[in-house]
Amino acid sequence: MTHATVLQTEGLCKYWGGVKALDNMSLSFHDKSVHGIVGPNGAGKSTLLNLLCGSYKPTAGRILHQGEAIEDIRAYQFVRRGIGRGFQKTNIYPQVTCLENCCIAAQRRVGGSFNILLSKNSSALLKEMAEQALQQVGLGSRRDTIASQISYGEQRQLEIAMVLATAPSVLLLDEPMAGMGHEESRLIIELLKKLKQDYCIVLVEHDMDAVFELSDQLTVMVNGQHLVTGCVDEVRNNSKVKEAYLGQGDEVI
Amino acid sequence: MTYFFGKKTEQLFIWLFFPLALLLPLFLEQNEFYVNKLTSVVIFAIFVMSLDYLVGRCGMITLGHSMFYGLGGYLFILIAPEFEAVNFWVYTFYICVLAAAIALVVGVIVLRTSGVYMIMITLAIAQMCFYFFSDSVEFGGNDGLFILMKPDTSLFGLAFFNLDDPLHFYYFCLLSLFNCLVFWKLVTGSRFGRIMEAVKDNPQRTTALGYNVFLFRLLSYVMASALAAYAGYLFALQYGFVNPSMMSWQTSGSALVMSILGGMGSLYGAILGTVVYEGLHYSLEHLTEHWLLLMGCLIIAMVMLFKAGIAGFLENLLERRK
Repeated sequence: MTHATVLQTEGLCKYWGGVKALDNMSLSFHDKSVHGIVGPNGAGKSTLLNLLCGSYKPTAGRILHQGEAIEDIRAYQFVRRGIGRGFQKTNIYPQVTCLENCCIAAQRRVGGSFNILLSKNSSALLKEMAEQALQQVGLGSRRDTIASQISYGEQRQLEIAMVLATAPSVLLLDEPMAGMGHEESRLIIELLKKLKQDYCIVLVEHDMDAVFELSDQLTVMVNGQHLVTGCVDEVRNNSKVKEAYLGQGDEVI
Repeated sequence: MTYFFGKKTEQLFIWLFFPLALLLPLFLEQNEFYVNKLTSVVIFAIFVMSLDYLVGRCGMITLGHSMFYGLGGYLFILIAPEFEAVNFWVYTFYICVLAAAIALVVGVIVLRTSGVYMIMITLAIAQMCFYFFSDSVEFGGNDGLFILMKPDTSLFGLAFFNLDDPLHFYYFCLLSLFNCLVFWKLVTGSRFGRIMEAVKDNPQRTTALGYNVFLFRLLSYVMASALAAYAGYLFALQYGFVNPSMMSWQTSGSALVMSILGGMGSLYGAILGTVVYEGLHYSLEHLTEHWLLLMGCLIIAMVMLFKAGIAGFLENLLERRK
């Protein structure tokens, strides 16, 4: 069963001078599913994510969102189209409360961000949106805690809550489980399982067990090149993947 | 009151400072010299506050803010007829709008940079402006120009105050200072202020949440520049002349020192910083010929002692016990 294609790349390239960080990448990301992206360090996974959220401009190729080419629009406009992005390094506003973090994220939806006379606490709707995002990731009890004082794992959850507060249809997540303990990872995995019922999730992750457990589609990248895309079992048994990942050998991932 | 001024220290400061400032001239027995001195401190505090907002609340460090301070004065001379008393309120509006328009153009250029580069480019543009006015014969060169006719302050046929009366002018400037403080408080507490603060803390994150960071910075720059020009306009009216030294980088520099001294980003700290700096200046000047040396040492000591400025020190003192 495949869902509708939400986001698509066609021959996407990003060169840094002579270095081909990403070469000729053509992928389709489907609604209500997790598309895992794996590969050794320097494979171009983060580059791909930065292109998909508009942070980088592609050297060549196209990005289609719901059939429309969007590679030329500005980074902040990607969010308005519903493409939300979480960062590899925790990227929150540490000095304000968890709720305020989500308020910042959600305010674009209620508008008035250029109104210098409208009090920031004037919208009950905004607060509701922010609270809902916190509850979605299970941080409801932390709403009034300063973000720098919650645990690292919780900060990663908050990071996802902020993306959710922007009301996206696509979630681009860059190693949401990086640096986490087993139990914390479990929490995120369960969260993503829940989220994939409603969102198109593009997941870059080093934790192989997590990727295999979550992904409906899996893409393996090596040196900026596309190696193989398929369902988990196809990829797992692909000889090219084993070679790329483990070098010559007969060990099974 | 509590709506605007959330912090206890802030409230206390306002309850102490403004009544004191209101009563002070009564004790000076209308001594014009002191009233004028106080007025210029109040006017400069308006300027410092606008810089404090830019540097402390928006993270945009500029060394060219004095350009708008000077422009406030020069714009008046440029647009007002020489031998006719124009309406004060109308020209206040004109000057703020014109300064905002100039800030819009300058902002589009300088806000492409940030950090050290922004300091350099704002300084460069302000210096260009400074040399333009100090070299031009038309604008009186180094000596500046006199304002021959002070504006008329009547509004709907009612004259509220007389610009030539130092006491009237002092109270008007004090009211302006209070209004500016309320204005900046309103801005920082607004939806715009929320995103501006987010931009300052983490521009990359804020872009990734769908906000056009550049436009937020630009609007802040324009607002702060317009109020800096307003302060410059008041300064020009006080003594009735403009002078290129208003635009010099030393003006920006000392305003920056006052803002840091008061507690960057606290807004009311700008008033504290200006009062303390000018107070030191005045008292040391009479003590010794080498007052600058003493003053420098004192400021270094204060900055080292109060990491978050005087405002931060007071807040620590008054609010720690909770």
